[in-house]
Amino acid sequence: MTPGRMKAILLAWLAVSAVPAANDSFIRELDDAARVATVMVDGDVCRKIVTPRAMDYLLRNDPKDPFLAGDNYEVNYDAFDSVKKTLIRLSRLVSFPADANLWMPVPGHPDKIRVVIRNVNELSQFWPWGALYQNMIPEMKTVLDTGQRVTVAKKPGWVSVLAPVSDSLGDIVAVVEVASQRKLDPQGNVK
Amino acid sequence: MRLNLLRLSLVLAACAQAAQLQVQPEYLRTAPDGEIVPADRAGAGRTAPEAARPTSLSGARMGYVSLQLIVKLSAPGEYSLDLTPATGLQVDVFREWYHALDGEKTHYPDALVPVRMPYASRLPELDNRIPDQKAQAFWVDVWIPGDARPGEYHLQFRLKSAEPAAEVTVPIRVLAATVPDQDVVAIDHNSYGSSWIGDLYAKKRESAGAAFFRSDAFFQLIHAYHRIFYEHRGVFHQLGYGHAGKVGPEFAPALEGTGRARHVANWELFDRHYGPLFDGTAFTGTRRGARPIPFAYLPINPEWPASYLWWGQPGYEVEFVNVVSEMERHFREKNWTSTRLELFFNHKKRYMGFPWDGDEVRFPEDNRYFREYGRLLRKAVPNDSPVKFVFRADASWDMEQQSRDLAGIVNMWICGDGILSWYPETARAMKQRGDIVWFYSGPPRVTQASAKITEFPLQAWLWGIDGYVHWLTVDAGQDPWFHFDGGGTALVYSGERFGIEEPIPSVRLKIQRNAVQDLALLDSFKTQRPEAELRGEAARRFNGSRPEDWWNPRPPMADRPATEWTNDEIDAASAQTRLLLAKTEADSWEKVHEFVMQLAEVVK
Repeated sequence: MTPGRMKAILLAWLAVSAVPAANDSFIRELDDAARVATVMVDGDVCRKIVTPRAMDYLLRNDPKDPFLAGDNYEVNYDAFDSVKKTLIRLSRLVSFPADANLWMPVPGHPDKIRVVIRNVNELSQFWPWGALYQNMIPEMKTVLDTGQRVTVAKKPGWVSVLAPVSDSLGDIVAVVEVASQRKLDPQGNVK
Repeated sequence: MRLNLLRLSLVLAACAQAAQLQVQPEYLRTAPDGEIVPADRAGAGRTAPEAARPTSLSGARMGYVSLQLIVKLSAPGEYSLDLTPATGLQVDVFREWYHALDGEKTHYPDALVPVRMPYASRLPELDNRIPDQKAQAFWVDVWIPGDARPGEYHLQFRLKSAEPAAEVTVPIRVLAATVPDQDVVAIDHNSYGSSWIGDLYAKKRESAGAAFFRSDAFFQLIHAYHRIFYEHRGVFHQLGYGHAGKVGPEFAPALEGTGRARHVANWELFDRHYGPLFDGTAFTGTRRGARPIPFAYLPINPEWPASYLWWGQPGYEVEFVNVVSEMERHFREKNWTSTRLELFFNHKKRYMGFPWDGDEVRFPEDNRYFREYGRLLRKAVPNDSPVKFVFRADASWDMEQQSRDLAGIVNMWICGDGILSWYPETARAMKQRGDIVWFYSGPPRVTQASAKITEFPLQAWLWGIDGYVHWLTVDAGQDPWFHFDGGGTALVYSGERFGIEEPIPSVRLKIQRNAVQDLALLDSFKTQRPEAELRGEAARRFNGSRPEDWWNPRPPMADRPATEWTNDEIDAASAQTRLLLAKTEADSWEKVHEFVMQLAEVVK
C-alpha cells in the first residue's frame, strides 16, 4: 500500500468516525442512496456532460474578463439530462428533502474539483456559490482514490455521503454527493 | 426652479457664532461638514446668471417637489427644527443619514429617516457617530395634491438652539398642470427571494419566532416594500425561485402528486402574499391610490410546477399544463386580471442546475426551450383568458437573433443596455409587434453624481422603450451605516435601527422618482409639440447630446456568432454612450426639469 493510499483510507476513516453512529436513520438513508448511486450513475455519460470547449475555457483566467469561463460554460444536453434524472431519482430514495450532486475532477489538475450537476434544494456542504471549480476536497479525493464511500458532517446539522462513480473501464471518474440538512430552511437558496 | 434654490440658500446668521439654516436643491448633497459632497460639486453653481432672478420651487399637481434643508451649528449642542406648513400641501421631512464609506474617509448622505416636526436633536447626532459633524441635512418632500389650488405657497422653517435663531421661508409655486397618473417608463426594482427580509428585520423575526415566514408581519413587510417603490413611481419584483428550481413557499401554491395527479393542494401562503398586491388593497391609503401591481414573476421554472425528472416525456407536459391551468382559473376567479404575470427563466447553465441558459442566452440552441415553454403556456392558458400571462426573457448576447427567433413567443424583453444600444431596429421591431421592452443595469453608487440615477429613465424614454430594471435594490450590505459599500445594490434600507419596522427610502430613490414624474409630465406635452422636439430638447439639456447619440453604431462583431464575442469587445462597442454618460453631473436632470416646468407653466 502506498503512503498516499494509506493517507486516503485514514482520511476516510476519520470522516466516517466524525459523524454519529450508523443507527442514525438520517445518515442511513443518505448512505443507502449514495450506495445505489455508485451502481446507477454511468461514469461514461458523466464524462460527456461538459463540452470540450467549456473545459478549454474552465481554467482560463483573464483579469480583464472575470466572466470568461462562465460565459463559455456549456454542456451536452442529453448527457446532462440523463445523469440529472438519475440523480433526481436517487434523491427520491430518501424520505426527506435531499439532493444528489455530481462532482468530477478537472483533468490534468488533480488539486481541483468541480460540481457538474446540482439539484433542486441546492444542498451541498462543499460548493461555494458560483464556483466553476475549486480546490480538491480531501474527502472527495479519498473517494476518488479508494472507491470508498465517505460520510461528512462538517457543517452543524449537515450530512453528505460521498459515493464513487466508475466508468466502463472501472476507473473512478466522479463523486456523487447525497446531501441534506437536518433542519431545512424553506427560504434558503431562493435567489 | 429647483436649480435656483442654490442661489436662494439663505445664510441668515450674520456672524460666525450663529446657527445657519440653508436650503439646497435636491441634486446637491452635503456632507457632515455642510459642504457639497465631491461627486456633486461640479454641478453646483453653474447657472450663476440666473441666480439673480429670485424664484421658487415649482411643481405640478399630483407630484412632488423636493429640497434639502441644512442645519448648521457653530458649536456642538442641541437644536430644534420646526416647520409651518402651507395649507393644502403635504410635507414629509427626513433626516439624511451620513454613511461612512468602507475603505474611504468620507461620508455620503443617502438613507432617509422619517422625522416629525418639530424635530429636536443635537449636533453631532449621537447615532450617526461623526465626532466633528457640524451640519445635518434634511430631505423635504412636498406633495401637491390633485385638488391644490394653483398659486404660491410658503413653507417656513425655524431653527432654534443655544445660538441665535434662524428662519427660512421657501416659496412653492403650484402650477395648474397635473402629473399624469401613468408613467411613461416603468422603473423596476428587483430582488431575489425573501430570506433577506428575515435578516433585515431581526427583531420582528425574533418576536414571531419560527413561524416568521408565515406570519402577518412577514407579509406586511413584503407589502411595505411594494408600497415604498410604488410611492416612488416604481415597481418591485421578488424572484421566488433559485437557480436549480427551489421555490420559496410564499411564492407558489403548494403542490401534491405526480404525473396526472399533480395539482395545487394549497393556495394559503400564495394568496396572503399576492392577493393584496393583485387586487391593489396593499396600496390603500397611499397618495397614488390603491391599484394592482403591474408586474409579478411567476414561480414557474424548469423544476416547477413540472418535475425536471419528466422533461422530454409526457409527464412534464401534463404536470405543467394541469398546474398552470389551475393557476389561470384561480386568478380568473379572484379577478386578478390586471397584473402581467411573467413566465421567466433566471437560471444559467454555469450554476449547474439545468443544461440551458434561461437568463441571457448566449448559445442559440437554447432557444428551443423557450419555444417549448411557449407551446406549453399556450396549451395551459385559454386564448380568451382575461388573466395576463406574459413570457419574459432577459436578453443580452444573442438578443438580436433571439428577438427574431422568439417573435410571437416571448413578448416581454429585458435587455442588457450595452448590447441593446447597438440595435435600435431590434427595439423598434419588438415595440411594433406589441412587446414590452425594458433594459437593465444597476443603481449608481452614492459616490457618483446625484443625477446619475436619472440616466436610466431618460435613456428608456429617449430609446422609446417601456422601462428599466435595477437588478438588485434591497441589499445594502452587512453594515450600510458605518461600513457602507456604496449602495450599488440598494435603493432602500431597513428602518429597524430607527424603530421603523419597514423600509425607508434613499436620496437616490427620491431623485429618481422626481425624474420619472417629470418624464410623465414631459411626455404628456407631445399632444402640443412634436415628440422628436421634446426628446431632442431633453437630451440637449441633460448633457448636450442628441437622442441618436444615445445609441451606439452596430459593431461588425454583431455579424459573428455571439459565442465568439468577448466582454472586452462588447465594452469597446458600447464606448460611445459610456463616454457620453460619463459627463453626467449633479445638475444634469435639473436642466431637464426646468424645461418641463417651462412647458407646464403655460397649462391653464
